[in-house]
Amino acid sequence: MFNKLRIGKKGENIIFGTFVLIYIGWCVNSPDMNIESLKSVLTIGLSVGIIYGLVALGISLIYTGLDVVNFSHGEFFMIGAFAGLTMFNLLGNQDWIFNIFPDAYGWIIYVVCLFTAFVSMGLFGVFIERVFLRPLTKKGGGYTVAGMGIIICGFGLSVVLINVAYLIWNPVAKPFPAELGLPMEIGGLFLPITYIWMIVVGLSVAAGLWFFLNKTKMGLGIRAVAYSKDVSNLVGINVPLYISIIFGIACAIAGIGGTLVGPTYQVVVFMGYIILMKAFAAAVVGGFGNLPGAIVGGFTVGIFETASSFYISGSHKDLYAFLLMIVVLMIKPTGFFGVQVKMKA
Amino acid sequence: MKVEKQSIVALLGGNGTGKSTILRAASGLIRSWKGTIEFNGEQIQNLPAHEIVGRGLVQVTQGKDVFPAMSVTENLKLGGFILKSKQQLLDNLEKVYNYFPRLNERKDQLAATLSGGELQMLCIGRGLMSNPKMIMLDEPSAALAPQIVLDIFKNINRIRQDGLTVLVVEQNVRMALLLADYGYVIKDGVINVEGDSKKLMYDESVKESYLGGTKANV
Repeated sequence: MFNKLRIGKKGENIIFGTFVLIYIGWCVNSPDMNIESLKSVLTIGLSVGIIYGLVALGISLIYTGLDVVNFSHGEFFMIGAFAGLTMFNLLGNQDWIFNIFPDAYGWIIYVVCLFTAFVSMGLFGVFIERVFLRPLTKKGGGYTVAGMGIIICGFGLSVVLINVAYLIWNPVAKPFPAELGLPMEIGGLFLPITYIWMIVVGLSVAAGLWFFLNKTKMGLGIRAVAYSKDVSNLVGINVPLYISIIFGIACAIAGIGGTLVGPTYQVVVFMGYIILMKAFAAAVVGGFGNLPGAIVGGFTVGIFETASSFYISGSHKDLYAFLLMIVVLMIKPTGFFGVQVKMKA
Repeated sequence: MKVEKQSIVALLGGNGTGKSTILRAASGLIRSWKGTIEFNGEQIQNLPAHEIVGRGLVQVTQGKDVFPAMSVTENLKLGGFILKSKQQLLDNLEKVYNYFPRLNERKDQLAATLSGGELQMLCIGRGLMSNPKMIMLDEPSAALAPQIVLDIFKNINRIRQDGLTVLVVEQNVRMALLLADYGYVIKDGVINVEGDSKKLMYDESVKESYLGGTKANV
């Protein structure tokens, strides 16, 4: 799951480097290029990128643990955003919280929302895995064999979850007016505090996951299950339980991502689809199935997308992530952090 | 088929005769269609695999089934995954290093960098970490140099002297029978010959079932 940076074939890196140089040259030539715009591109790119990274982290985690690609992951992201928003609306007009913490009122509510999204999405993920995905493995062979059925089930789940959310919350975009304070000044640039929040919380979640996987007993078990189900069984790990845990954690992280995005953009029923696709691009760019790679890929896609829409053309914003993915697949198919080749469904 | 307490029993047979399948059924990786598997007087054929490990019946896989991206210590700690107390885990780690000093020398290396013999030691050590009552070894001599096979078999004997029951699945008939007290020879999924290992050593039918079983009638 954690492979060292692969110093790939020399040719690959040279061609890829040439592409990067051409791209940078293109951006520098743009009339909009100056230090101010570069700063805002970097901040926005990083903050959007960490969101892609968080969703990509979940996709990669499920891929390593269950050997399937979860195509309904964007919907967990969307429902997570709604879960956070619901909690926000519940707490938003409670005067007693305001009376106890007059200064940090908005922050405390927002942290509670993040926590709600995390826990509720974790439980929801375990529920989905147990009720909808697990029965597909009944015929034996576990997730590796039932893979194709589960991938298609993922598409179906995506449609179902969107429509359930549509029934509950209707398709109108909803604002998430978290009061996190005034914009912050960093290096002469005024940034909305939510951008900083996204980066800080996102990186902490990623760091927390790293710590969990590498330093705790449960994390050790998860890494074992991700490598081999049979051997994990033989050392006494309850593999079905651990598969649920892996799915739950991945969904919980997606839920946090949704709530992080809420205050900056708006919460809409259809927000999951495009995030899933871009997170997929991020995972491919970073190296599919590699967890640090997912975060690095997320940052890369985020910055590339923001810079391109700033310096090249803003009207094709959604194109760039996939352009980058195609280029990476053509030149460096393993992504930045290549993973060992493994039989997957 | 029976395995007495604190004995070493060898299960022999050619390729594809179902030796490993028996082990996989006993450790719960696959379900048996009929028949029962009893361990300490309890039927275990319908238990999930991790509970069978909890009962004290552990299968030791072939050396290639380690976690290559983890260190030797981490691999061994995984073996003791079902242990509740940390002290117990450390004690068992000490015990395994005592059996296999070579692993102690390499405890911080990634398992992927170990040699074949060391991998096999790691697998056996991992099996011993959970305080088992009985271990089932799946071809401990596969693809190893004779010197190392001897070393490993000596250790298996030591493990038995410390009170464990051992079931060895082997293709290396001679070595396995030297080690074991009792032997079973399996052919086409059915037990063909059984008996005291000293007797089996000179039994003609053992050779036969190894060479495919059918005698050419001229």
